[in-house]
Amino acid sequence: MIMQTEAIESIKFGVLNPDDARKLGVIKLTVPDTYNEDGYPIEGGLLDQRMGVIDPGLLCKTCGARAKSCPGHFGRIELVRPVLHSEFTKVIYMILQSTCKNCHRLLLSDEHMNEYKDALNQIEEAVEIDAELGDVKLGMGSAAMLKRIKNMKRCERCGTVKGKLKFSAPTYFYIDDYKMKPDEIRDLLEKVSQDDLQVLGIDSVVARPEWLVLSVLLVPPVNVRPSITLESGERSEDDLTHKLVDIMRINLRLEQNLNAGAPQIIIDDLWELLQDHGTTYFNNETASIPPARHRSGRALKTLAQRLKGKEGRFRYNLSGKRVNYSARTVISVDPNIDLDEVGVPLEIASKLTVPFYVTAWNIDKAREMLSRTEYPMIVNAIAKDGKRKRVIDLNREELIKDLQPGMVLERQLADGDITLFNRQPSLHRVSIMSHRAKVLNGRTFRMNYCVTAPYNADFDGDEMNLHVPQSLEAQSEAKYLMNPKYQVFSPRDGDAIITNNEDGITGMYMLTKDDNFLTKEQAVYILSIAGKYELPDPTKDGLYRGKDIFSLLLPKGLDFEGRSAKAPFVIKKGKLVQGVVAKDTFGRGDNKLLAKIGKDFGYDVLKEFIFVSAKVADAYVTMMGVTVGVKEYTTSKKLAEERVRLLSETFSNIEKLIEDYRNRKLEPLIGYTLRQSLERMIIAELNLVRDRAGEMLLKYESSDNVAVEMARSGSRGSVLNIEQMTMFLGQQATLSGGRIKRGYYTNRVLPHIAPGDVRPGARGFVATSYYSGLAPTDLFMHAVGSRGSEVYKALLTARSGYLYRRLSNALQDYSVKSDYSVRDANNNLVEVVYGGDKMNPLYTQFDTVD
Amino acid sequence: MPSKSDHELVPVHELMSDKEAKEVLESLKVSIENLPKILESDPQAKKLEAKPGQIIRIHRREGKHDMFYYRVVIGE
Repeated sequence: MIMQTEAIESIKFGVLNPDDARKLGVIKLTVPDTYNEDGYPIEGGLLDQRMGVIDPGLLCKTCGARAKSCPGHFGRIELVRPVLHSEFTKVIYMILQSTCKNCHRLLLSDEHMNEYKDALNQIEEAVEIDAELGDVKLGMGSAAMLKRIKNMKRCERCGTVKGKLKFSAPTYFYIDDYKMKPDEIRDLLEKVSQDDLQVLGIDSVVARPEWLVLSVLLVPPVNVRPSITLESGERSEDDLTHKLVDIMRINLRLEQNLNAGAPQIIIDDLWELLQDHGTTYFNNETASIPPARHRSGRALKTLAQRLKGKEGRFRYNLSGKRVNYSARTVISVDPNIDLDEVGVPLEIASKLTVPFYVTAWNIDKAREMLSRTEYPMIVNAIAKDGKRKRVIDLNREELIKDLQPGMVLERQLADGDITLFNRQPSLHRVSIMSHRAKVLNGRTFRMNYCVTAPYNADFDGDEMNLHVPQSLEAQSEAKYLMNPKYQVFSPRDGDAIITNNEDGITGMYMLTKDDNFLTKEQAVYILSIAGKYELPDPTKDGLYRGKDIFSLLLPKGLDFEGRSAKAPFVIKKGKLVQGVVAKDTFGRGDNKLLAKIGKDFGYDVLKEFIFVSAKVADAYVTMMGVTVGVKEYTTSKKLAEERVRLLSETFSNIEKLIEDYRNRKLEPLIGYTLRQSLERMIIAELNLVRDRAGEMLLKYESSDNVAVEMARSGSRGSVLNIEQMTMFLGQQATLSGGRIKRGYYTNRVLPHIAPGDVRPGARGFVATSYYSGLAPTDLFMHAVGSRGSEVYKALLTARSGYLYRRLSNALQDYSVKSDYSVRDANNNLVEVVYGGDKMNPLYTQFDTVD
Repeated sequence: MPSKSDHELVPVHELMSDKEAKEVLESLKVSIENLPKILESDPQAKKLEAKPGQIIRIHRREGKHDMFYYRVVIGE
């Protein structure tokens, strides 16, 4: 392709000159309507065919071209009385304020004016030679100048006292309490000289101020505001057309009244109406004007609304575009799908295509593919000249005959093709990863649940997007950079984010517990899931240790020492000799089993280990029938006794603290008043019961309690969750200032509490559990906390989301270059050495930093 | 009176000679306008009487390593 490139030096925006507007808008519109009774566009109406056509087949009456090639032509409305351009009222105000109403000169003495001119010239010169601004005097900016003008009481030249100018939104100007008409304003603006305007920063060659008062209104071509034919055959017009009809109607009425010599007051009313219509035509969200509405009550989308905001032309259509070769559907789980695979519904796979580049060496294969008539078949053939032809039964034979190297065939997506899988919001790089396609029945994308964490996905109806990279370069980049197996560890802190979770951990935990033995049948079944066809040595009873089964999943020869579930975790020569697998085994925190496997055996072995162990854990959980019911939350007798003992102990401790406080015997904490000290000590006591109750729970609940087992392994739920269900809720409603203390009139939360009562129950401590049920007062305290956290959550997500967006946009093209410096896209140096130490958290797994 | 710029938390600023500056720009492979900037009116720049276009080297300590940072002096 021949391309001519030329750097744009500058762009200058101006205001449209009415003469130019008349040249541009060649068709004068006179009829405030669209179609006549026959459904034919009215000549001189808003859909006049001289402004272009939108129906295919019709010819434009100006250029004679069809809808596709006619660029559209502007029309114009001659306003019988001028109106202000509402988006420029600030400029008009500034000019009116800065000029004398009598001699129309700037309200500045010659001396001051020359000073500003000099300053302006200096800046201009400096910009021209691209130099630093040397000695432009401070306080020479336009803001300072306008301030000086504002303070002028009278005109320096003719001595006229400045009138009192008032601007009232949206478009009204008063001078000495007289409401100026637009044409009077225009007369004032016309008389300001080019020289004076230059000082105000206005280039009057491209923007004379009187052009801001409109006497002719340009009507955009019909292809800017196409009408739509509804299914019922009814025509529906664009919002802009509606607005223009309104303007024309008022314009016509005003004209008739003028010709009929109507009283001034009626003329003025209509004139103001025309002004308001003009204002809403430009911006229908102008403050202090009720928005123009559709018959249904919906506000019209006028010019500014088309451009503005998230759904505006800029952010929606220009910054954000739709893409081809992509698909979107609901996601669901499949533990049998590999970490770097994605299950693609056949329906989608047959629509998406991958290019097949025909060469002399693969032309036979290409012919064979081209001859296929069902699923993995060729959809399009792209000839050497770039012409794309759909392959249909009629032309298949011909295409096969004409096939030659250099052509490109688009074949349907098939197993093993590289795709990009994405879930929004794409907050970090692992929100988009490459997966190998696996064509399946069904209508959802299938994925392994170990990769839900990076996408932050779940299966309650989430949808995800799939893209097919087309060029070979894109495919290989995706394959070698974006595969999940290279993304197991988070660049944030080096922890694994693609790991086992939920059942994948529960199962591993249960399997590897010290006292867990499997029968031969069980062992064989579990190992067959893993694809291992050997058995470890049995114990004397002919049973198999769970740890030995797990060991078979480990890479041969692995040596590892770490901690897991608060106990040592040791693997020697690929055999688990001590410890139990839990959440932190899989690379959370300091335990780096996954990091070690990745480092010693490579990413493929690592991926295989995560995949297989998750699958095995699932199978084991299914085999054992792990389920949670009311039984998990029924307190044992022992635990109920412990609960009563703990609570009464705590309450009496607190009573004693209060007693001491009353008798002034309480020893205050350093830096706190006696009262604060009491509060802190009470809170400390309450925190202590909470922790002790948790300890009791772990101590007295056996491994039969699956809920506790899940909490122990870290797979789901915490000890606190179970504690709240079986023992007591603990302190509720901790607002930012500590325990809740007011809400009712006098220093108390609820009317049944004595004012000033600081005992646990009076300040939101709930001693009952979800299982036993909550008293109304307790429920209230609980609801206070729930409401608080709900409100906080809503505010925080909106806040932090926008904060993050701004941050990532600001940093988006910073990258670490080969010399470890950080630079942006313009080669601006940001940091000489990345992070000051070249340390990337991703690669600092086992190295200690000194 | 002790100046704020004598405080131990203010890293050492050093004005570079033109020759040094040229070498640094070459070694970093940047042109002077791509360097981070420091105002001529910055207290440290003032103290060094640096002029626009000159480069200031800042000795900062990152962990246990001494690091150099570079700033080109600009006018207002």
